Amino acid sequence: MTALIIGDTGIAHSITQAIAAGTHTPNQAVTALTDTDVLDDPALAARALATLIGDDPVELVVLAHLDPTGFVSAAITDITEDAWDQACERSLRQAFVALQQVHSLVADGTPVVVVLPNVGAVGVAGLVPLCSAVEGIRVMAKAVARRWGARSITVNTIEVDLATFMLGGADDPDAAALLPQVPVLGAPALPAAPILDDVMGLIGFFASPAGRAVTGAFLMADRGTVMLP
Amino acid sequence: MNTRVLEGQVVLVTGAAAGVGRGVAVAMARAGAVVGIGVRRPEAADDVADEVRDAGGTPVLLRCDVTDAVQSAGAIDQLVAQHGRLDALVHNAVSNRSSEPTDFENASLELWEEHASVTVRATWRLAVQAHPHLRVTQGAYLLMTSPAGIEGSAPLPFYSAVKAAQRGFVRALAREWGPDGIRVNSVAPLAISPALENLKATDPERVARIEGLVPLGRLGDPTTDIGPPSVFLCSQEARYVTGQTLVVSGGRFTSL
Repeated sequence: MTALIIGDTGIAHSITQAIAAGTHTPNQAVTALTDTDVLDDPALAARALATLIGDDPVELVVLAHLDPTGFVSAAITDITEDAWDQACERSLRQAFVALQQVHSLVADGTPVVVVLPNVGAVGVAGLVPLCSAVEGIRVMAKAVARRWGARSITVNTIEVDLATFMLGGADDPDAAALLPQVPVLGAPALPAAPILDDVMGLIGFFASPAGRAVTGAFLMADRGTVMLP
Repeated sequence: MNTRVLEGQVVLVTGAAAGVGRGVAVAMARAGAVVGIGVRRPEAADDVADEVRDAGGTPVLLRCDVTDAVQSAGAIDQLVAQHGRLDALVHNAVSNRSSEPTDFENASLELWEEHASVTVRATWRLAVQAHPHLRVTQGAYLLMTSPAGIEGSAPLPFYSAVKAAQRGFVRALAREWGPDGIRVNSVAPLAISPALENLKATDPERVARIEGLVPLGRLGDPTTDIGPPSVFLCSQEARYVTGQTLVVSGGRFTSL
């Protein structure tokens, strides 16, 4: 039984490492699709995933990927159509391809967790392409949750802060300095602590018997930074 | 409320040939606006122009396939050249296949592109093309999104995703353009559409079941139910409203 992690982001790598280390989910194998360029082509994606998974049944899927150009702050009037496509629409297309392939790979009852940054529900100036992609993927996940419920496949979304999404909780001040500043989101209500633990806890919940009746849900794991109405 | 809140103002509505877009265009006319009627085939839209004129507005038929950057830029330029300004842009156009159930698990990237080109890329491109004019008038950009883009629809997963992307766009762009005085909002309507009109003729019981889910007991009329809130959001009556989605559904959706 294997967990499949899809994404070339900090959070995807950290989730892969946490599962491999067994610190949150003992005795679970993990495999990761990090060459996300294959998600531009459904046939390539299918081949890559088949090679990765082999005959192992998949018992958990985590999709945590967005095109990194979306994290570069720019006014929409200053970007080209190609830049818009890469920063926004490519992420949407890749999420569609990833979820479509996941459906054909997994057994009934498999939990799917989508991880996104917490910018879409609030909106951030300079990150219009990213916010658009995030909201599109979040609701795409809800739509497939409705479609796949008959197979008892659950699809839920967790949103984390930008730094956790891109860096996965790594203590890397240089990399963090390159991330867009988003003061509009405010400060977290809870004291600083590694958000990866929270994310792993939520993934564990969604994958557990206690979480089997939860699908189409959307939870913030940002220590109370964004509190929706 | 002043019913002629758009007197002297110039509005462009995309996808105005039928359905919600047509209703919104007529409502803008009732509010006194010059209405740019953005359609793919203006030669087939004289009836829309007549309706706008009869409603008290000034119609300008514009060739505006929003997936064609040259056409959409040309439509905006022509409207501004003729009437000197642009106060609001309403992007209502959707893919012809938007109401067609999508087999997500077997769908192609080509089908995705049909949805995304109209609802995601054109949303961005129209914003960029309209920005210089809206900045001058401290105007408004209004997107017609959908309840499906909030709650997710099983038969319409692509439509849900691209309409949700518009909501993320609205929130972020409202913050980005706030300093320019441009407001960015969206309306999520539940309304009679040409597809539902056809269904009503062939399967009235099914339409009655849909209407039965609406607390107000009916589907919205594009002109008289969806139009006025759209006019409000484009007018100075809503000058302190930005980054919002107004769900206009007769109470069908109360948890969005």
